[in-house]
Amino acid sequence: MNHETDAYRAKAVAWLDSIAPKYGRDVREGLTVEEDLALGRQYQADKYAAGYAGINWPTELGGQGLTHIEKVTFEAEEMKYGLPNVYFGISLGMPVPVLMQFGQDREFVKERVVKALKGEEIWCQLFSEPSGGTDLAGLRTRAEPDGNGWKINGQKVWTSWAQYSDYGVIVVRTDPNVVKHKGLTYFWVDMKAPGVTVRPIRLAGGDSHVNEVFFDDVRITDDHRMSPVGGGFAVAIATLMIERYVATDSAGFGPPIDEFVSLAKSVKMNGKPAIEDGRIRQQIARNYAMRSGLDSITTRAMLMMRAGMTPGAEGSLNKLVAVRSRQKLSELALDLQGTDALPFNEHASQKSDWASSWINAPTGRIAGGSDETLLNTIAEKILGLPQDHRPDKGVPFNQIPA
Amino acid sequence: MTILYDEGQQAIATESRRILEARISKDDLLPLLEQQGKYHQGFWDIAKEQGWTALAMPESFGGLELTLVELGLIAHQAGRSISGAPFLTSNFGAAKAIETYGDDAAKSRYLPALASGEMIGSVAFAAGADPLPIQSPLSFADGQVRGRLDGVVGGLYADVVIVLAEAADGAKLLAVDTAGAEKSFIDSFDNSRAFAALSFSGQSAIVLASGPAARDAALHILALQSVVTAHEQTGGAEALMEIARDYANTRKAFGQPIGAFQSVKHRIAELYSYVELARANCIRAAAAYGTDGFLLAAAAARLSATEAYDTAARDCVQIHGGIGVTWELGLHLHMRRARSLAIEQGSTLFWEDILVDELAGEAA
Repeated sequence: MNHETDAYRAKAVAWLDSIAPKYGRDVREGLTVEEDLALGRQYQADKYAAGYAGINWPTELGGQGLTHIEKVTFEAEEMKYGLPNVYFGISLGMPVPVLMQFGQDREFVKERVVKALKGEEIWCQLFSEPSGGTDLAGLRTRAEPDGNGWKINGQKVWTSWAQYSDYGVIVVRTDPNVVKHKGLTYFWVDMKAPGVTVRPIRLAGGDSHVNEVFFDDVRITDDHRMSPVGGGFAVAIATLMIERYVATDSAGFGPPIDEFVSLAKSVKMNGKPAIEDGRIRQQIARNYAMRSGLDSITTRAMLMMRAGMTPGAEGSLNKLVAVRSRQKLSELALDLQGTDALPFNEHASQKSDWASSWINAPTGRIAGGSDETLLNTIAEKILGLPQDHRPDKGVPFNQIPA
Repeated sequence: MTILYDEGQQAIATESRRILEARISKDDLLPLLEQQGKYHQGFWDIAKEQGWTALAMPESFGGLELTLVELGLIAHQAGRSISGAPFLTSNFGAAKAIETYGDDAAKSRYLPALASGEMIGSVAFAAGADPLPIQSPLSFADGQVRGRLDGVVGGLYADVVIVLAEAADGAKLLAVDTAGAEKSFIDSFDNSRAFAALSFSGQSAIVLASGPAARDAALHILALQSVVTAHEQTGGAEALMEIARDYANTRKAFGQPIGAFQSVKHRIAELYSYVELARANCIRAAAAYGTDGFLLAAAAARLSATEAYDTAARDCVQIHGGIGVTWELGLHLHMRRARSLAIEQGSTLFWEDILVDELAGEAA
């Protein structure tokens, strides 16, 4: 292992240990979302002051000027503490980096970036629509020329943290007369502007981090534009590429396998500890083998990055494989507990509570690329298999049969 | 040890692949299925010529002093081409047993001959459903072994076999010379493995370990061989995934390549995930040799590799449709090998138990 990275990690762990009593999972227990967000803003400010925000971002924009190796190293450690950083994940993951790359007014950009890093402002990403999420280029929200600027009308959906966001990045249709991905343009918008309405959507697990966002004659000036007119699709794809180097979790953001082993040791089946039951043992062994494979892929990717190489495409397997197996293992964990599994706390953490892990698992298999989309991507981009049949190919957007 | 292959290791992978692809084809392997007790001499000659037999053996006994990582890379390529004989793994297992547990006399006697490949070694602990039985079917007294072992991998040609046997003072791990032992060929679904039943009638043996240590040693040897086999299985699975991909890209139905149908393309994408998980576990296990976590890593590698190869064999044939089940196309060579390798060194059922014992503590 690399000594510099080890030293960086040790320093990061020391800092995380020092702030954990103030922000860690024990402190957060029982907080309302608003209280937790307020705590999260404080954590983010401390993180900025300590030099752990924007680790691989340019120093002239308030970042630390380090590489994605330090970033992923820090994130992998940070993940273990249950800190209130979820509200800033999207904001700092995609919209703000895109703003850094494509924002026109550099003074404005710098001000926004620093405030976002400190947790003072939050950005959301307005991509998905009621008519489709995977088929991004099929979106219907439109922007029409309006004086020196544009007027936006339409609806976005599944927008994470929009209710707490100050700004958003948005892809809209500016020309319905050309093929679908050529008529899109990329803007930023002020989420507090007149005509923007945010309605939280309560999800199956009980929480409401996603929203519907309505745009009714929302007027923006042309300096909000972050792509050439009609060139928005390329920027949207660039947005999705920024997050290639993120810390992953072979537990699929559910409980670790050790939790399942402990449960199987404590629960009895037919008068004996469940850990002695062959069916339970098989699932433990299979899940462990799968997770150790993912961990090994992640470790190898880190080693490759340190050696200045590009990690292999197999890194894309984590989300596909980890989340769906977490879903099944969570079901089995509930089976194991029988009626003891029935008491439900909708505020429990999905990383430690099996019911919470189970009920929130479908979100993990759908958001940010569904299992089916990921399989298509592996098949087409990695293995070179043909694209699906697409009847809308080459057809102007306004002539695609609805 | 790092899990990132260095340049030398990558060169081993590339070179062994080139040689095997140039010199072995399914036309060499198909006839072996119908012959009793023939292995592919060409494969074994390559292994000897290239020094693969000596790869992970000590320099002082004619070896190249490389590691399980390099041997794994060779085994992966051998799996891609379907290895024509089982001795790459079995010689390694037998030699490791003697190197680790034998005295200098035993090492001098066996290791140089195993390293050069002129002697063939095998490891045989299994008794039917139990890869590592509590009670061995063999007995050991006055320096002699008696009893019968079934299903010995490569047993028909083995000169020396590593076995467990019961003695008056407990279990023994032994190296037995097979001279004079009765070898009866087992006509199986994968005949180039040279499976045989061995009947010992007082053959002399060298004691490598005794009592509880004998069984621990046997498990360790089994784990070592398992990691080699896991690489071989991963290689086979990878080859099948590529065969399926290539076929889906060229075969057309309803006016488009069948790979454009999601039921087909997703099946192949799933194979990719099995192959990459197995590969990642193999690297981890090979690099973990000599550390506390080795047995756990070996079990994980074995489980994911068996799943990868079996699944790839099943799905690759399915994607081919009718042509996939013909004798001539030869996909059944992989089907057969996937199953023989799944059974050799202990099945999934065995390794699941080992893994959970390691993870949850023996008491479980």
